[in-house]
Amino acid sequence: MKLPPVLRLVVRNFTSNLDVITVLIRFGQPAITIVVLGTMFTTIVSSSVTGGASYTAFLVPGMVAFQMITGGIVSGNLFWLDRRWAMTEQIFSGPFLRSEYLGGLVLTTLLFSLVGVGVMILVGVPFIGLPALSPAAVGMVLATVALGSVFFAGLLIALGSRLRSANAYFSIQSFLQLFVIFLSTVYYPVTSKTPRVLAAIFYVNPLTYAANTIRDAFANSFSGSDFVALGVLALLASMAFGAAIWGFRTLELGPIQ
Amino acid sequence: MASGGVVLETQDLGYSFAPGRFAIRHLSLGLGRGEVLGLLGRNGAGKTTTVRLLTTLLPPTEGTAIVLGQDIRTGGRALRSRLGVVLQAESLDFVTVERNLTLYAFMWGVARETAKARAEEMIALFELESARHRKPWALSGGERRRFQVARELMHDMEILFLDEPTVGLDAVARRRILRYLRDRARGGLSIVFTTHILHEADLLCDRIAVLHLGRLLALDTAESLKQLHGGAREVSMTFGRPLSPELRLDLGRELGQRGAELLEPPEALASAANWLGFRAERAEELLPWLTQWSQARSLPLDRLSVEEATLEGAFLGMIGDTAEDGDGRTPGEPSPADRLPPGRSGEVP
Repeated sequence: MKLPPVLRLVVRNFTSNLDVITVLIRFGQPAITIVVLGTMFTTIVSSSVTGGASYTAFLVPGMVAFQMITGGIVSGNLFWLDRRWAMTEQIFSGPFLRSEYLGGLVLTTLLFSLVGVGVMILVGVPFIGLPALSPAAVGMVLATVALGSVFFAGLLIALGSRLRSANAYFSIQSFLQLFVIFLSTVYYPVTSKTPRVLAAIFYVNPLTYAANTIRDAFANSFSGSDFVALGVLALLASMAFGAAIWGFRTLELGPIQ
Repeated sequence: MASGGVVLETQDLGYSFAPGRFAIRHLSLGLGRGEVLGLLGRNGAGKTTTVRLLTTLLPPTEGTAIVLGQDIRTGGRALRSRLGVVLQAESLDFVTVERNLTLYAFMWGVARETAKARAEEMIALFELESARHRKPWALSGGERRRFQVARELMHDMEILFLDEPTVGLDAVARRRILRYLRDRARGGLSIVFTTHILHEADLLCDRIAVLHLGRLLALDTAESLKQLHGGAREVSMTFGRPLSPELRLDLGRELGQRGAELLEPPEALASAANWLGFRAERAEELLPWLTQWSQARSLPLDRLSVEEATLEGAFLGMIGDTAEDGDGRTPGEPSPADRLPPGRSGEVP
């Protein structure tokens, strides 16, 4: 049976670009963070700072939110490498539409992110137990990670469609990753003692919305702000995806380095 | 051409990368089923742009092109699924050669068993057995190129576009690939082939389109191009007995009147010798006259040899061998495609 073109591209993406080492590092890094950082900080961070939960219980939802960056980076890098090795051009000269290639990248991102969500929850089980998520909470987590993944994938694909230098692309990608993670509530909450400027930056960062929403989902305690956050994420994801479409429509094929 | 039927036809096709700056212009040519068409030209002549246009990777900015009955502007996926394209750039996936082949076939929707059988066939045909389990970065340049051609042949197609497929290949591999392509063309596959190696274009192509500065200069068979544009060739004559200085001077003068240039200085003609050589455009047209001249003087002509016309000679004759590198353009300079007169358009066979 012949799979639809998008699915054939997804299979190709996973087969050709995701080797074992890459997968281990992409999932291993946040997993190690949960194990090591969670264990160590639980002993020194007061639970009053983390809303009554242990630091590990605070961190696991943060690492779940982190998966949207992981997924975004995977497809952003995949796209850039495809450009670098002329596979974008080769695929475009075959029985595929550009929209299918873009769809394949987004689907790859989503699958990678959602597998990452499962891995992070499993890594957290020995420390905080299996979270008792209601179906609505599961839906909230998946929707948040999916929208966040599309946002980061769209952003990096748009970036990758413009840049012709590996150094520039990977430097910007690393900086963006660092900036987004450390200026979000993945590792620490915004409290009354957080400097105002930093707090303001935290709240324009989509990862903050995602981390807070996922924490609320883990606690099965939604509020209106979570739905607002989801709406903001949907808006940002649409904008980033629009930027990726623009990048594809104006993509110049040919050698890059 | 192996069999009838037009599979590709362009009319005044052009691509402008900026207003008034054309990479290719007024391209009118055709390709028949089972025909091999060579695109020759210097770097920047417009060969790769032409391939990109015809494979829908670039939208034309003027003119029309009908490929397999479909307009390249609207053919899209339906058209591309009937084409094969070997790009000039190395295009690779990060898996072993064998996996690359089957993965590519999978992407094209080739059934698993067919893909496995074809992969074996291609590995054998393109001598990739030792590279079967290696990843692309561990391959030599020639292996990568062979692999890239092999990979494209994993799926069915009606027209195959090959953009410099033999770059970096040794003579044996090149010959093997050319022979295979020739066989496929006999089987009905139409091929558009760009190369800088004129000898292989001569061997493989039914017709050759010469592009220069974004324009089609000529479209004809290699033989016709050689005859029409082969330039001056050397002719060497050895007579059965020495010619007197008078006869040699007479022959030299007559040849000079017919546009030939003697290979030895005029003063050398003043001595008796049984040999005389000259260079002339369309040298073969002088041969009947030479025979008559020698017969009229009862001079036995033991040996008469004409330097073989080469495609390279014809190519250089057409584009000029003193042209600048590439297209002679500096970045930002307007494309020269507009400065040339319209090229000699090819008839659709």
